[in-house]
Amino acid sequence: MDRIDANLYLNLVRGGAARLGLHRQEINDLNVFPIPDGDTGDNMYMTIQAGCTAAGSTLPEVAKAVSAGMLMGARGNSGVILSRMFAGLAKGLADVREADVKAFSRAMQAGVEESYHAVSEPVEGTILTVFREGVAAAAGSKDLDEYFDLLTSAMDLSLQHTPELLDVLKKAGVVDSGGAGLLYIAEGMRAALHGEAAEVLEEAAPAAQHVDLDAFTEDSVLEFGYCTEFLLRLQRSKVDLETFDESVISDWLAAHGESLVFFRDGSIIKVHVHTHTPGEILNHCQQYGEFLTIKVENMTLQHHENHMDERFKKGRKAFGVVAVASGAGLVDTFKELGADIVIEGGQTMNPPVKRFIDAFDAVDAETVFVFPNNGNILLTARQAADIYDKADIRVIPAKTLGEGYYALANLDTEAGDADAIEAALAEAAGEVATGLVSRAIRDSGNVREGEYVGIAGKEILAAGPAPEEALLALADAMDAGSRDVILVFAGEGGTRSEKVREALEKRYPRAEVILQTGGQPVYEYILVLF
Amino acid sequence: MLRLFTDTDTDITPAVAAEYGYRLISMPYSVDAKTVYPYVDFDEFEPRPFYDMLRSGVLPTTSAISKERYIEYFEPEFAAGNDILYVHFSRAMTVTFNAMDEAVAELKAKYPERSFHEIDTKGITTISYTIVREIGDLFKAGKTLEEVLEWAGTEVDKFAMYFFADDLKFFRRSGRVSGLAATMGTLIGIRPIIYMSQEGKMVSCGKEKGRLKAMERLVQQVADLGEDFKSHRFVIGHTDAPELAQEVGKMIQERFGDDFPIDYVVCNPTAGSHAGPNGVGVCFHAKHR
Repeated sequence: MDRIDANLYLNLVRGGAARLGLHRQEINDLNVFPIPDGDTGDNMYMTIQAGCTAAGSTLPEVAKAVSAGMLMGARGNSGVILSRMFAGLAKGLADVREADVKAFSRAMQAGVEESYHAVSEPVEGTILTVFREGVAAAAGSKDLDEYFDLLTSAMDLSLQHTPELLDVLKKAGVVDSGGAGLLYIAEGMRAALHGEAAEVLEEAAPAAQHVDLDAFTEDSVLEFGYCTEFLLRLQRSKVDLETFDESVISDWLAAHGESLVFFRDGSIIKVHVHTHTPGEILNHCQQYGEFLTIKVENMTLQHHENHMDERFKKGRKAFGVVAVASGAGLVDTFKELGADIVIEGGQTMNPPVKRFIDAFDAVDAETVFVFPNNGNILLTARQAADIYDKADIRVIPAKTLGEGYYALANLDTEAGDADAIEAALAEAAGEVATGLVSRAIRDSGNVREGEYVGIAGKEILAAGPAPEEALLALADAMDAGSRDVILVFAGEGGTRSEKVREALEKRYPRAEVILQTGGQPVYEYILVLF
Repeated sequence: MLRLFTDTDTDITPAVAAEYGYRLISMPYSVDAKTVYPYVDFDEFEPRPFYDMLRSGVLPTTSAISKERYIEYFEPEFAAGNDILYVHFSRAMTVTFNAMDEAVAELKAKYPERSFHEIDTKGITTISYTIVREIGDLFKAGKTLEEVLEWAGTEVDKFAMYFFADDLKFFRRSGRVSGLAATMGTLIGIRPIIYMSQEGKMVSCGKEKGRLKAMERLVQQVADLGEDFKSHRFVIGHTDAPELAQEVGKMIQERFGDDFPIDYVVCNPTAGSHAGPNGVGVCFHAKHR
């Protein structure tokens, strides 16, 4: 391919968008610079996407339409800068019907200039640097293939250097997110140049952002101000469009806000600025025109959303609880006991590590106590705890639902630090005896298939033709009479009958007998003694 | 002359109030947005339907009465030239007494020669019931207002109350028990033991496994803290758990002898809204609370 025409140009943009789309979460996660300002990956992606729907028959038309689309769709700092790159590109291609490598290279250089121009105080070590160095390195290429090879490899190199230019990146141990996003776009463009089909463009819209309004409370201090973005259409009634010098506005904005990104395209002025007093900014700018769009967001809330590393989250609760249980009644019981999340699982359904990780994320606490409630699941929980580093995870060695129940019932979050609480929970779990009644699925020893057996630990302690009989025999074998509470969870196959309660009460008058609907599979009854 | 007032949160019924000459201030609760004033909107409290409603999951709310309502209660007495002593439930458990203070300040400006006295029972339900009756007994025995106020200065703190509840959700919801926040949810089979502190607040002081252990704990509290309790009122209160209350009474008598009467009282609906059903508590004269 030695020339770029209207079609190819659009394909390049779409290829860039598609590649970025695949990696946008990764870019979001890199976002630690300059200060919290939306999600870079999402912002850049939505910006470039807005250019992908452009139409036109000639290269200048298409390039201009892409630029116009991106102007309207530009979001966030990096998104706005990106849109300026393509605006510069469109200017550079304004009278080029088919761009060869020289023309394209010149247009790209125009993009560099345009993007630097849009930022009041260009900072090196950002998307600007990555773009500029990439474009400079590719400048002398003999053809477009070489151009994009050099462009991407130089951009990659430049990107890797960004931490050396910016302390904040070095401290965070990341490269610049906008630069990284731009590299994906360039790589996507290169792939498109080689005719590689752009990967699925129809991607789901980014997940709805969960804005936690509680991140800014009655007592919060406005630390980051408001991210204020708008498109202003200069009005003939207010200014002389032909002679108006937009630096009147940009200079004033630079003096009254931070992180200013500003550019003019015809009669439209795009502003992105961080300020503590958005009203003042808007009032000032309205003397030159009228607003086409306005977006004002409290950056403390953005800050809150952005820092996926939950350790920085304010208002995170100190303790959380994740428990594993199956059966509607047991799940409810654990929830009522105070479990934030109950993972469905049990003997025949061991939840994977991923479920625990997701649960830990969702609980959002400094310390999470985990009640696996099954010997097989205990190890999975521990493994999940080992690889999770966003919270202090304490896996309580509760190997049965009974142990988990009683331990959780004894959770006292004011009993000391996490170590002390964990020790108390483990101790409580150890005080409980749990028995299970289940149907024998084959002959074994004295037990016939179809009979009901009472099991504690790995031992069969009782058997009977009906689950209720096995339950009573099991309670006997486990010396239920010496306990204070006999708690029975009736499973799918058991019944929560008054008869069972009465029989137990009659046999063990000292103990309090409680019969609950557990709804668990496999076990007709779970007998919990404490 | 002196007019005695108390309120329905002290478990005093109109019949008992009449016995001592107390006027009864009705403290309301609300169910489904309908506000009910005990002994104004009904003549007799029927505990079973009320607590069954709680058992079925309905959670009533309680509300503080207004300054105007206090004025309605007090002004006729001042206007008639009477002074007032109000023996009430704990200030530390409600904001309603702010409204009362305003009402009293307003009335005092209007009736400068009248006087208003109050005794804070620093409790609610059974413990307040006990103190309100003890005070009524003192007046019956011919004690003067000054003597009664002096008695209250030391004796209010010498009535202890320990109780357990079946389900924490009522307490948790009302947020009126300190120390419970530490425990995270509804417990089955484990009962927190709660006592009325010297500050007039409910404070959790441990948990017991099973009903029997919980009842034994109440008896043990009497053994540990009781002082001269046989010559004072000994009251067992419950939230619609008469059998359990009787059982505790039996255990008390087995332990300490049956040479003293035990009074059984059902907890009023307003306080019961915060305690939930199936709770039992003992109130007795003690070294301290």
